[in-house]
Amino acid sequence: MHIASGFLSPSVWGTMAVVSGAALAGSALVATRQLGDRKVPLMGVMGAFVFAAQMVNFPILAGTSGHLGGGFLLGILLGPSLGIVVMTSVLVVQAFVFQDGGVEALGANIFVMGIVPSLLGGAVRSLWRRRGWMTYAATFAGGAAAVLAGATLVVLFLAWSGALPAKVHLAEALGVMNSIHLFIGLVEGAVTVAVVRFVVGARREAVFEAELAAPAGEVPA
Amino acid sequence: MNAYNRKTLVVGVLIALAIAGVVSYFASGEPDGLEKTQEELGADQPMHEGVGSPPSIFNGYGLKGLSAGFWNNAAAGVVGSLLVLGVLLAVARILKRRPSPQAADRT
Repeated sequence: MHIASGFLSPSVWGTMAVVSGAALAGSALVATRQLGDRKVPLMGVMGAFVFAAQMVNFPILAGTSGHLGGGFLLGILLGPSLGIVVMTSVLVVQAFVFQDGGVEALGANIFVMGIVPSLLGGAVRSLWRRRGWMTYAATFAGGAAAVLAGATLVVLFLAWSGALPAKVHLAEALGVMNSIHLFIGLVEGAVTVAVVRFVVGARREAVFEAELAAPAGEVPA
Repeated sequence: MNAYNRKTLVVGVLIALAIAGVVSYFASGEPDGLEKTQEELGADQPMHEGVGSPPSIFNGYGLKGLSAGFWNNAAAGVVGSLLVLGVLLAVARILKRRPSPQAADRT
């Protein structure tokens, strides 16, 4: 879902660069409080995993593929602020080294694939401390919702940039984009449930390091 | 580094490298959801002047000058994953250097 170079107008990419830059700075400040000894290696390998997973395009429908976003997953496992920091690093490496996503579109891409899904992931994070069927259902639905939210934002950014032909109605563009991304979202939801289950099972102490260390009732945001 | 963190790193990196270096070779080459949408809407031609990409040894997810194939894809996957890991360990080091307000309160 990376917006390529040349599709966003300067006012749109400039605005999103400022918005995402501010959110990133705030996230980095909050993240300093959550960077325990065990969180650092987990954050590093989760970033490497999301980069790797994004290379695996799976076929959906005829002539179309999709790949994991991963921001939602990071929001659950690392918390929203660290998730935003990690997703930003992935997107920066992709844009600067692999020409995946336009350099000027970085702010927009960080917003769409990092900030929004990480915040949504953060909303279901606490459910994983005592997981049950509700946890899996909320994570699956949340993963799909994160993809659809991102798909909607991308279409709006393109529309505001004048990058949609005049004859195309906004509703039509939203319909095409979201109907394709519904399928991608279902995969995102299912893969997120499986990966979070695995990581929480194997590395619970690292995932909930800050919460387990803090006295009851004093959980860092 | 203690055994717990070493295991997190080693197992995590091995999983990431297996996916980026091997599994991704079998990925679908079809346009992704956004590219497909832009094609269907007739909105797939850049219309604004973008900011160019900085020079890179990679052309997309493959080394420049090497023909597409298993090893070329594996090189991009391995280098990219390790680069993200390295960037994040450096970022963590910088972030941890800032004294947190909570830690200051407790000491």
